[in-house]
Amino acid sequence: MEFTSILFYVFSLFFVGSSFVMITSRNTAKAALWLILTFFSAASLWLLLEAEFLAITLILIYVGAVMVLFMFVIKMLDTEESTLRAQFTRYLPLGIFVSLVVIVQMALVLNAGPFDLESVGMPEQHGASYSNITAIAQQLYTVYVYPFELAAILLLIAIIAAITLVHRTQVNSKKQNITEQINVQAKDRMRFASINKKSKKESK
Amino acid sequence: MLNIYLTIVLAPLIGSIVVGLAGNQLGRTLSHSITILGVAISTVLSLYVFNHHVLNDADIFNQNIYTWMQIGGLNISVGFLVDNLTSVMLVVVSFVSLMVHIYTIGYMHDDKGYTKFFSYISLFTFAMFTLVISNNFMQLFFGWEAVGLVSYLLIGFWHHKESAIEANLKAFLVNRVGDFGFLLGIALVLMFFGTLDYAEAFSQKDQIIGQTLFGGSAITVVCLLLFVGAMGKSAQVPLHVWLPGSMEGPTPISALIHAATMVTAGIFMVSRMSPLFELSDTALMVVMIIGAITALFMGLLGIVQNDIKRVVAYSTLSQLGYMTVALGVSAYSVAIFHLMTHAFFKALLFLAAGSVIVALHHEQDIRKMGGLRKKMPITYITSLLGTLALIGFPGFAGFYSKDMIIEAVHYSDLPYAGWAYVAVLIGVFITAFYSLRLLFLVFHGESRVDSHTEEHLHETGSSITVPLILLAIPSVVIGYLTIEPMLFGGWLDNAITIDSSHQAVAELKGHFYSAFALLTHSVVTPPFWMMVGGAVSAWVFCLYRPDWADQIQSRFKRTNYVLNSLYGFDRLNDIVFVKGSVKLGNLLWKISDMTLIDKVIVNGSAKLARYLGVLIRPVQTGYVYHYAFFMIVSLMLVLGWVLIASDYSFFG
Amino acid sequence: MIALSDYLILSSIVFCIGLAGIFINRTNIIMILMCVELILAAVNTNFIAFSFYGSDLAGQIFVFFILTVAAAEVAIGLAILTLMYRNRGSIDIDVTNTLKG
Repeated sequence: MEFTSILFYVFSLFFVGSSFVMITSRNTAKAALWLILTFFSAASLWLLLEAEFLAITLILIYVGAVMVLFMFVIKMLDTEESTLRAQFTRYLPLGIFVSLVVIVQMALVLNAGPFDLESVGMPEQHGASYSNITAIAQQLYTVYVYPFELAAILLLIAIIAAITLVHRTQVNSKKQNITEQINVQAKDRMRFASINKKSKKESK
Repeated sequence: MLNIYLTIVLAPLIGSIVVGLAGNQLGRTLSHSITILGVAISTVLSLYVFNHHVLNDADIFNQNIYTWMQIGGLNISVGFLVDNLTSVMLVVVSFVSLMVHIYTIGYMHDDKGYTKFFSYISLFTFAMFTLVISNNFMQLFFGWEAVGLVSYLLIGFWHHKESAIEANLKAFLVNRVGDFGFLLGIALVLMFFGTLDYAEAFSQKDQIIGQTLFGGSAITVVCLLLFVGAMGKSAQVPLHVWLPGSMEGPTPISALIHAATMVTAGIFMVSRMSPLFELSDTALMVVMIIGAITALFMGLLGIVQNDIKRVVAYSTLSQLGYMTVALGVSAYSVAIFHLMTHAFFKALLFLAAGSVIVALHHEQDIRKMGGLRKKMPITYITSLLGTLALIGFPGFAGFYSKDMIIEAVHYSDLPYAGWAYVAVLIGVFITAFYSLRLLFLVFHGESRVDSHTEEHLHETGSSITVPLILLAIPSVVIGYLTIEPMLFGGWLDNAITIDSSHQAVAELKGHFYSAFALLTHSVVTPPFWMMVGGAVSAWVFCLYRPDWADQIQSRFKRTNYVLNSLYGFDRLNDIVFVKGSVKLGNLLWKISDMTLIDKVIVNGSAKLARYLGVLIRPVQTGYVYHYAFFMIVSLMLVLGWVLIASDYSFFG
Repeated sequence: MIALSDYLILSSIVFCIGLAGIFINRTNIIMILMCVELILAAVNTNFIAFSFYGSDLAGQIFVFFILTVAAAEVAIGLAILTLMYRNRGSIDIDVTNTLKG
């Protein structure tokens, strides 16, 4: 057993285990924490696959930003546990069954196909001076520069969308609502007030 | 020469258009002068063309003038084919048209639509010329339809008269039935020969001999369909029902269209198509039989008619039957000969009838006429000459043509030719009977005319009588003069093809010596004695013992009823076709339109869409996890399907 | 030696766990979103495995973009969630079925 194989099994155990615990946890905040552990195991796996840049990126951005966002929202909103647990056990068997079936199917497919060690072969490991970032950058800014720009625009749109969705107050604009103005009736603008006869005499 | 042909065809058209558009402004005199001038030019030029082609034996002129359209390999164009047959027809049509134009000046004198009438009859002349001078089927069909159209317009000329409107619609519809068959025939010609041009089609005619269509010989089907068109136009049984109704139109058009020209278009067409008809004995036999039926039975109807124009109309139908019989026995030149003589004497008879009608202030019932010969001498004499020509009195034009037809039928060896011979022979008797009955009842005997009318009774004006005289002359002499050259001298040889198996005309030629010999020989032939028998019977029943006629009428009530109801054709058409069409329309409306299309298809498809929508709607539950679940389950199913479809190759 | 198929099976297991998570935790929108993140993680692993074993850097580039898109998606998803909570008072999924047919 090579060391990398042992590492692979350890990390994948964490990966699968923490994801399983995450989905079965009752507390949303705890689920988020288990998800963070899942991401860490994924990043380790990626390191094994010589994708250092992406592994670090996963930690920094995904865990560092996205999961923090998740925590914000979880703490901000009131997640009632009672209603959320109500139908948990009812669909559990069916969900597990469907997932198991899909896993088995995938295993069958993947084992039989051209994904074996014999067909694919081990790729050569790069030396220590191999820089993943440089390699990615060389591809990203030349061949894939167009999707890169599009991704940037996509993020911009996401920002604008998120802001537009959430901000409460209308921008102060002196806009006329013509329909409302036309539909005004006298009773909206005027009301008859009755003046007491007594007070009238008094004022005189 | 092309310019001459163009002038012949276009002069009446120009006259018609000018008078049609500006008639009211031009006034009556100028209108009739323009149209008469147009037709007169055509007449003179037609005589010149006749001289050029027939008497001087010029070459056939066949040229496309204007290409109307080119569809793939098919070229449809306006073209002229002028050979001897065309020349003869041109002369006949233009001369009779000119006579009718002159006659109309007097006849329609009191009518409000004077200029319109002249425009129409000139238009008709143009259409007839187009038909006759055409060198391809399409132009023939154009002329065919155009004469039908103008006939419709003219029959219903007095459009405030309800009977006229019914009659013109009937004429048009029956013609349409014939035209439908004709068009199918033309389509088959196109299918088999690939061209609509006469010369090209006829040059390929031998290819069609062995082919079959729907189980029958192809050429027979084609010829029969073409003949259906001729049946419609030339009023053969059973498409004859429109001709008596067409008498609702003014008499000039009865003379022009329904005696001399339009109804002969069918005869002309079959003669023109002689190369095709000669290939099919069956078609010729059918033609002969239908002609014989028409000749005999329509003549019988002429005996019981009481309207002066209807008698002449049924006479026309009967004579058309004679021409058709001649066509059937491959005696095309005899048929054309009879066409020519008939045009002259029948137009004469119609115009004379019109003269009588005008003199009696539009009285048409012959039971209210009588003894007119003293007061209307010219009309009487010309009518007498025409009648003698019609019944085949020896020496007159009709004698030569009818006798030739009868003998040709006698010599023919087609099946049923014997029966046809008997029919046309009896027809001579009947023809003589009704013609002389008409003459006697109108001009002889005591006057049964209304006394008020009788005071004003006088011969009609010269514009009416001059055409009568001019038509009487050919009725007398043209038979004698033209029989030998036309039938046996090869006048029509370059237009007509006769197959060697049809020997009728050849036998005629063998027995012919000269026109004079025919005249003197006539007293021993059966037709002569038939005619005499008919004449004597007419004299007996109309002048000598009129009460015997009434007795026979009361004794033979059933026969009388059958004849008076015109063999029930009108009633049959009414019940089967008219009422049947109305019922069919109602049925289709109720079932097909209302139920099938509206309810089932239109409403039904909307209901189906709604039903399906109602079925599918519950899938959209609104819960996202339901949607996700469906997606997952579908994924599972697809994966399972792929695994199974790959033949379980994942095991091992 | 670890073969490509091992990474792929791993990735499909986690994928199915994520699916099951969606199915089980359907009432809680936040849990759903987190399960979606899980699925994306599994898919990313898949891509990187292929990129490693196929010696083609395109897989990693694609993961790069998936990360970008996932971040954007989470941002907007959470914004919608906040809005929903604000308008309806809870994040119970039974109140969000107004798209019902």
